[in-house]
Order: sequence, then C-alpha cells, then structure tokens
Amino acid sequence: MGKTKAAPAGSEQAGEIPAPKLDWRGRSNQWGVRVKPGKHGLRLGDINVGIYGEVPDQWQDQTRNPRGAIPRRGVPPLGYSIRDKADLWAESAADLYEEAIQRRWAPATDIPWETVEPLSEDLERAICQVCTELCQYANCDIETISSWQHQMAYGYHEVKQYLATASFDAARHFEAFRKRALAGGGGLGLEGPGEVNRMILESRGGWTEAVTYLILLRGTFTLTLLRFLEQHAHNEAEATLYRYVLQDKGRQMTYGLEHLRFACAHKEDMKLILEQILFIGDRIFAREMKDHVLREALAVVFAGGVREAGTVGMAEYRRMMQAFMSAYLDACRWLGVQRDLERMPPSLRRYASGELPGEEG
Amino acid sequence: MDVEWDVEETLTLDWMERQGEWGMQATPGKQGLTLADIQIGSYGDPPEFSDNMTGRPRGATARKDSYRIGDYSVRSKSEIWLDNASFLYEEALQRQWSSATDVPWDSIEPLPDDIEEAQCQLATFLTEVEFVAGDVPARWISRTTPDYFEPRNVLLAQVMDESRHMDVFRKRALANGGGLMQATGGTSGVVGSIDLARDFTEMSSRLHISGEGAVLTIFRMGELMAYNEAEKAIYRLCAQDEARHVAFGVMHMRYMAETAPERREEIECYLDEAERQILAGSQNPAGNQTASSEALAILLGGGRDNYDEGFRKLMAIRKRQLREYIKRVKSAGFGERFENGRSNLQGMMEASAA
Repeated sequence: MGKTKAAPAGSEQAGEIPAPKLDWRGRSNQWGVRVKPGKHGLRLGDINVGIYGEVPDQWQDQTRNPRGAIPRRGVPPLGYSIRDKADLWAESAADLYEEAIQRRWAPATDIPWETVEPLSEDLERAICQVCTELCQYANCDIETISSWQHQMAYGYHEVKQYLATASFDAARHFEAFRKRALAGGGGLGLEGPGEVNRMILESRGGWTEAVTYLILLRGTFTLTLLRFLEQHAHNEAEATLYRYVLQDKGRQMTYGLEHLRFACAHKEDMKLILEQILFIGDRIFAREMKDHVLREALAVVFAGGVREAGTVGMAEYRRMMQAFMSAYLDACRWLGVQRDLERMPPSLRRYASGELPGEEG
Repeated sequence: MDVEWDVEETLTLDWMERQGEWGMQATPGKQGLTLADIQIGSYGDPPEFSDNMTGRPRGATARKDSYRIGDYSVRSKSEIWLDNASFLYEEALQRQWSSATDVPWDSIEPLPDDIEEAQCQLATFLTEVEFVAGDVPARWISRTTPDYFEPRNVLLAQVMDESRHMDVFRKRALANGGGLMQATGGTSGVVGSIDLARDFTEMSSRLHISGEGAVLTIFRMGELMAYNEAEKAIYRLCAQDEARHVAFGVMHMRYMAETAPERREEIECYLDEAERQILAGSQNPAGNQTASSEALAILLGGGRDNYDEGFRKLMAIRKRQLREYIKRVKSAGFGERFENGRSNLQGMMEASAA
C-alpha cells in the first residue's frame, strides 16, 4: 500500500486517510491505445480504433456506459429506447460532428447586419413573413431532435453528438431569422399553418420516420428555398445568412439521407415503409403548400416587390417548386424508394411531370 | 419540364395586414447584433404564462386554425426564466471550441502507468457523466414553449458543450497508451437523480447547481492534476463551458425565488436532496471512496506512492466544492438555510477545518 497510513476503507473523518481500494486498476477491455492527431487534429472518427471503433448492431446496455468501457453490473437502467444501429446510424456522423464545430458561426458577429438598408414596405413585409416561417421550421427542428436525442443509446455516441450540433444549428437559425425580421424596420409575420410541423413532431414510428419527414421532405424543401432566397437576397446580410444556414442544412441532409439509406439496407421492409410514409407525407405537404401566405411572400421577395410578384415572382416560385421536386425525387431514387407519380397529389406532381401549373388552390 | 411560367396569379396579400408589431429597427452594437439588441417593442416582452401551443415565434400573429402541436409542459415564465439568458447564449456562441484542433494533443507524452491509469479512469467517468447534461436538458428543451426561447437556446448550447466534453475525455483516454476503464454507473435511473426530475427547477438544482457545480470546481483545479498542456487546455476550456451552465442554474433559481415565493419550500427540499448526495453520491468525481476520487488522489499526489499527499489535496478540493456550492446557493437567494440549521454543510466545513 505504499506510504498510505491505512484507515478502515469507508471512513473519511477529518484527519484520517482511508486505505484506497484501487479495485478499478487494471480494468480495461483494451489497453495500450495511442491515437495520434493528424493534419486536422484529433477527430472523433480518428479514435475509432480497436474495440473502441466497433459499433454493434444492437446495444442492449441501458446505462451511460461508454462504448468500449467495462460496464458496471446492476446499474438501474435509464430506458434508452433506440438501441438498434439501423434505427439511427449514419457512417458520416463523426465527420459531420467535427465539420459542424469547425464551421461554427455566430449570427451576432458573422452577419454584416449594417448592410440591411430600408426596403419598400411590401418587400420588407414579405421578407419578414418568410423569416417568420423559417423561424418556425427551425423551431420544429429543435423540438424534434431534442425529443428523440435522449432516447438514443450511448453505444451510438457519434450520432448523439452530431445531433447536438444539429439542434444547436437550429437554435442559431431560430435566432438569426428572428434578428433579420427585427433589423429592417419590420417585425414578425403571421405564423405558418403548421400542418407539416405537426406531422414531423407526431412521428411516433421511430427516429427513422421523423428523419423521413424532417430531413427528406421538409429538409429538401428548406434547402431549395434557401438556395432561391440566397439568389434573391436584397443585401449582403441576407446573402450571408442564407449561405451559413445552407451550409448547416447541408450537413443535416447528409446525415438524414445516409441514415435512411442505412436503414433501408439493414431493415426488411424499410423501403416499403418509407413509400407509405411519404405517400401520406406528400399529401400533408401539398395541403400546406396550398396555403397562399408563404407562396405569395416568396413571390414578392423573388420579384423584388408586389408589382411583378404575380408574374415574375410566381414564375420563380414555380421554378423553385420544380427544383424542390427534382431534388426530392432524386433523393428517393438514391434511396431506392419507389415513387409513383400517379399517386402523388396533383399540386406536387405537376412540378415533377411537366403538367401546367394552373391555379394553386 | 413544361411548367407554364407565364401564368399570372392574382395575389391576395391579405397576410400583410395580419403581421406582428411593425416598425422594429434593431441595430447592431459593439458586440454585433445580439439577442439583447432585439428585445424591442412587444418582442422583448415574454409573457408570464404562455398560451402558445403552436410553436410560433414570440410576437408572430397567431392563426385561429393552427394545430396545438406543442408538447409544452413548461409554460410559466418563472419555471425556466433567468435574467441573463441572452448574455449566456451569446457568450456560448462566441466561446465554442474544437476538441480536435484547440487542444494541443501533440503535447501528450507517455506517463507512468499509475498516472495514465488514473487519468483514464477519470476520463472514463467524465465521458460517462458529461452527457447527462446533454440528454436531460434536451428532453426539457422540447417541452419548453418557444415563447421562452432565450433560456431554451442556452440549454441547446449546453447540449452542444456537453457533447464536446463527452468527446474530449474519450479522446484523452485513447490518446496516450491507455484506454477506457470501468464505468461507474454514477448516473442511473433512481429516484432523486437528475434524469428522473419531473420539474425543470428540480432538475436544474441537481444538474446545474449541485452536479455541475462540483465538476466545475474539479475543472478549475485542473492545473493540479494535469500532466501536459493538452490536459491543462481540456480542463480550462471545459471549466469555461461549465461555468456558464452553473450560472444558468443559479440565475434561474434566483428568478424563481423572487417571482414564485410559494415554491421556496419545495426548492429547499431539492437542495436538501442535493446536499445529501454532494459528497456521498457517485456523480461527484471527488465524492467519498469512489474509483474516480481514488484516481484523483493519485493524479493530485503525483503517483500511487504519493497517495496520501494526493488525498489531502482531494480533501482541500472537497472543501472548495462545498464552499463554492454554499456561495452559489446564497447567490440564488437560499442562503438562510446555512444560518437557520436546515443545512449542515457549513458545519461539515468547519469540522473538517478543525
């Protein structure tokens, strides 16, 4: 016991030094690991070596035992419900986590807010309306991710960690769009219809279902929307803001699509399930898009005011919808999920099939 | 694709008449355009009770036909509010760091086996417990109305911070010829644990004030147990994050004490619970007779052969943990408990000093 003046283990009264038990010493599943930093530092993926990099298909442990550590027996469970790799995994999660950290930004200081100049009132109202709905999208991201994250088992820490960056990104988006709405002489607008938000938040079938709605459907739409907004930004602050958010959403899309592909490859029937989920999701999405508020606000933004919003602005809106449908159907094809255009709501199908747009209602 | 681009659509523009308060012109200050800068007009006025069940941003106009989709149990301001949330959130954004590139991993050199083993045991413990503070706040975030988005954003930043802490200690365990060791099971689903709290303030008192407060003291003493620049950087950077989390808890409890005095006695009960576990529970790495406290004593002493010396330093750290805890609780407005005999921590401190 070296120099220790042994007192009975467990007694720690003042002045006494209890004999250490040291029963933890020598307990490791794999010792002698020495990971060296590379050109990009010491990344999360770099330390997936030996047993520490073995990600099992099932993780039965319901405690916070770190992957590769020796579990302690008899620990009361915490009730993690997502314990199958197929239910959350994406191979790129560790890289996306590190990338999110490297590409961090702060709306307060990284957006050149001083470039926001007064715009015509109709244009400002339209931008504020779009920002209001984007705030609500971000809120849906926050609430969805946060409500699933704590249910994910520790064995898949890379995904939990990536999702921590994704919900933090969403917090920043919520903040940044609010700032834009309050920085140009306007204010917030009318809340969105919320039907798609409800569909995403009420995904009870599992995280994969939530990802399908949140990332594949809503995420593809948001990415397309942001690309068009960036092209029609009215000042450098807006352009910068949309670019940063696009970058963040791009990571979310990578995680989402990779996860869905992984789930399809490892779960029987998953492709069929996704077909069913999307069949329903398309209808709800189409119903929400019939709401004229966002459509009109975007048309005003794209046209630079109300004067040409019904013509130039709406034409650009249709191009945006066409770009969205193209990206959405491409993603479905990449996943191997069959989509029958004939079963799609006509208001979406026409952007995919080349039918005439006609009236939106 | 044959979409007919030239079809003109007649716009109603009726929504332009249904927007929130108009004419807001927030201007950036020296620190950029901060959350504090956009607390203008009615937008800076969070309600005492939130009836927002649709997830709309505070100040946006409600639609009468919107779905009540918010699963919000935190709808009273006093349940979650604190006066400096905007500041803490902006600071969190500015002080984000990367465990891959901001820690000088090259400075790590091989250590004697007993030291490396102790370092890895402590790192295993911290990897295990750090994300308690990720899992648990996340659950509360989704239950909090966006009308209180400022504290909610601080909690989102905290989840991010904890994720980085979980990762940096795992990296440390695998960077120097060691490995992960045995988990402690220090955080589990038992009554009185952080995980099982059914009220936000109850959770915050355990997580922020007691749990993270104890860990913050350890991180602040990191210089004493670090053997290279990498470890010093880890403790320093983690301490900076942890201090924000603890500040959240203290400021929230202060707000609660001032605005909901009817809940004071209940909060005292949470503090009673926290104090019973502060040294005896296994969530404190310096707690009594745990694997991590023995590892700490070895690190503080400079090796297994200097265990006694390390243990004396550990005792000093425990005293400091208690001292800092008492200070926080006093700052939160619950200092009377140390004068009126409800808490015996002051006595414990005095006895151990005698």
